[in-house]
Amino acid sequence: MKKLVLITSLILALGIFVAACGSDDSDTDSGGTGVEVTDVWARTTTPTQDAGAIYMTINSEDGDALTGVKVPASVAGMAQLHETTTGGEPTDSESAMESDDSESMDSGDSGSMGTDDSDGGSAMMGMKEVEKIDIPAGETVTLEPGGFHIMLMELKGQIKAGDTIPVTLTFEKAGTVKVDATAQDQ
Amino acid sequence: MEVLRIRSLTFGRILVPLLIVAALAVIVTGCGSDDSSGELNGITRVPPARTGNLTLPDDSPQSGGREIEVKGQADGLMLVYFGYTSCPDVCPTTLADLRNALAELDPDQRQRVQVSMVTVDPDRDTGHVLNGYLAHFFGPGQYHSLRTTDPARLDRADRIFGASHKLGKPDADGNYDVSHTALVYAVDPQGTVEVEWPFGTDADLIAEDLKTLLDKNSQNPDA
Repeated sequence: MKKLVLITSLILALGIFVAACGSDDSDTDSGGTGVEVTDVWARTTTPTQDAGAIYMTINSEDGDALTGVKVPASVAGMAQLHETTTGGEPTDSESAMESDDSESMDSGDSGSMGTDDSDGGSAMMGMKEVEKIDIPAGETVTLEPGGFHIMLMELKGQIKAGDTIPVTLTFEKAGTVKVDATAQDQ
Repeated sequence: MEVLRIRSLTFGRILVPLLIVAALAVIVTGCGSDDSSGELNGITRVPPARTGNLTLPDDSPQSGGREIEVKGQADGLMLVYFGYTSCPDVCPTTLADLRNALAELDPDQRQRVQVSMVTVDPDRDTGHVLNGYLAHFFGPGQYHSLRTTDPARLDRADRIFGASHKLGKPDADGNYDVSHTALVYAVDPQGTVEVEWPFGTDADLIAEDLKTLLDKNSQNPDA
């Protein structure tokens, strides 16, 4: 009987220890909700900038979807899930960069890039709000420059290197996950 | 008749290989001219875009709204980017890449490179906003805040570089989306766009190209 109490208290103590670790690790853990959020960072901004971006890596064993995001009103008036898009058809310029030299000569040869009304070759980039970001089962989805990001609008102040921004993520299955974004000057 | 046919046949036999040789020569020359620019990582256009007599107002502190020529100074380069400051993702990523690329250059080479951002959103990007934005990435005197409120002038600048931009319709809060060409153009002192880098080009690759072009320009500053 005594033994059992000892073991139980040991387990409890361990449990507390583990929980403590978990909370300490708040920006790399989700608290056992099935999704894992890591490398959460915000880009530093200038004093005159009214928009910012937060990036992260999300992993889900069973598959999930990021459906919403919130940051404190003291940081930004609004936060949205965004995707950076490259307008129109795949552009000459992009394919040229990804392929070898001979192809990049082709793109130069086509001459379409320089002509007056050629949107096609000019790699117009824009952004759009997305309802959700799917995290397929067992896969890792990275919110990164040029792809998905959390857009902060109506910034209340400058985001400086080392600042920490509490971010509340909403997942379809895992529910609410709180993480901290660290501001990086990159 | 007979003679003529034979002749034309022979001619054809000679002509076809000749054409092939000529075509090869063109291809080789094409490669050659690419080589002479030192195997650039970015995109080179044939023929290259030229800025000609293009000038734009520069709201940077050192220019205070004065018109400047959109070309490299003396034996240097001007890196031109069309963007806007409410852009949270693509623009700061690109400018950070440029900053990192410049950091890889020797100080005297770095001095020869100027960065110009042309705002495609002059209503929201006042000179003050633009300066604050660029000063975050570049040292004083290294950047130009190019801003015109005349849409025709902005369109002309777009066209010269083969760029384009589009402002979306404002929502209820007055926010609107902006799409824009996200290339960086390196312009030499003659106004020739020597190379352009698409979004996502590694800072190391940009730095390599800058070194190649700066070496070339200092070898023959009159070229």
